[in-house]
Amino acid sequence: MNTDIHRLLDEAFQGVEMTPDAQDLKEEVRANLMARADELEAAGATPSDAAHQAVAELGDVRELLEETSDAAPRRATDEYTALIRRHHVRPKPGFVVRTVAYSIAAVVGITLAILGASGVLPLPIGPQIGLFGMASTALGLIVGDSLSQETTTNHPMPQNRAGGYFLATLLGAFGLGFVALVAFGSLPVWGIVFAALGVIASIILFSFLGATQTNRHKAWTRQLAAATPPNRFEREPDTAARFGVYTAAIWLVTFAVIAVLVFTVGWWWAPIAFVGGFALMMLLLARMLFAPEKSDKS
Amino acid sequence: MTQDDAFAADLLRGHTDTIVLGVLRRGDAYGFEIYKAIRDATGGDYEIKEATLYATYRRLEKDGLVESYWGDESQGGRRKYYRITDAGRAVFRGNVAAWTATRRIIDSLLDVKESQQ
Repeated sequence: MNTDIHRLLDEAFQGVEMTPDAQDLKEEVRANLMARADELEAAGATPSDAAHQAVAELGDVRELLEETSDAAPRRATDEYTALIRRHHVRPKPGFVVRTVAYSIAAVVGITLAILGASGVLPLPIGPQIGLFGMASTALGLIVGDSLSQETTTNHPMPQNRAGGYFLATLLGAFGLGFVALVAFGSLPVWGIVFAALGVIASIILFSFLGATQTNRHKAWTRQLAAATPPNRFEREPDTAARFGVYTAAIWLVTFAVIAVLVFTVGWWWAPIAFVGGFALMMLLLARMLFAPEKSDKS
Repeated sequence: MTQDDAFAADLLRGHTDTIVLGVLRRGDAYGFEIYKAIRDATGGDYEIKEATLYATYRRLEKDGLVESYWGDESQGGRRKYYRITDAGRAVFRGNVAAWTATRRIIDSLLDVKESQQ
């Protein structure tokens, strides 16, 4: 085990203020130096020479750290509109046309399929499934196509990944289509197997895509986010926690009220409770996120 | 280093960000692997200085073009691995397109000059 590297690295970092950033860099450099020294030793250098040469190749580490302290963060709000204008990306006409066409296909497919399933239109089961297939494909294409577009704040998603989102949307929508067919009695209950397969595959695929998703934001958006002062929930975690508890309580009560309404006056009253719960939550959010500062009062 | 070498090294250095993104497109790598990939590709003639590379990693990470994570090596130093993001891939594609276009222009301009001499 060659200890020269560690000694030389400590010397190189002598006099550098050990911020977490500097510590991070030191550890990164250490592993790279060791790999380089191993290579030099394999080429026939003595351990000590290898260590010295590896560190010598590195140069002055202080230069590396100076690079990071960029210019002072600009004021975010003043320049926001200017930044948006400078980085604005106009949607491509072809994309807009495609999206409109897909939307029409989706709406027509879903409408006709539901009319067929509910018996208004005399459609056999084959075309009903076909129509839902068409609508799901259209929905998937809308999702995949939008993700592979460059926007003002985001880079386009690579084709393969956008294709994954297309497939996940298609499977999920098709699965829900089968749910509708079973619900309307167009398909016997075993049709739910296809629904479950589609929806579960879609959930698995979405989870995988979500978990492996990397950054798509453009650099200017990230710098803007870094320069934006933290909001109240970030500064006061206890307020954020209270908000979470209140939200859970509101929705619990809302669903209880929905259940009561459904069993007493009828299911068409249920959305009222839902809207009420939502409005209450928005009021709570406004009250808690933008309330006057605690310290102002005391 | 001759003047030709300095010119070539300069050209190469101007594209460090894109080159690093290109190496990472093949898979996650830590600093020394990236350094070695570049050195091997140039045949060891022109190397991009390690200091330049560290500065590049930091800039790329700040801009969200790469992400980093620590490896789980049990002995020796822990390696800091870099992974290219979707934004990084998009920027890489854009840079390659720009490079191809620029190369064509420069090629044609230099040919014109050569024929005049």
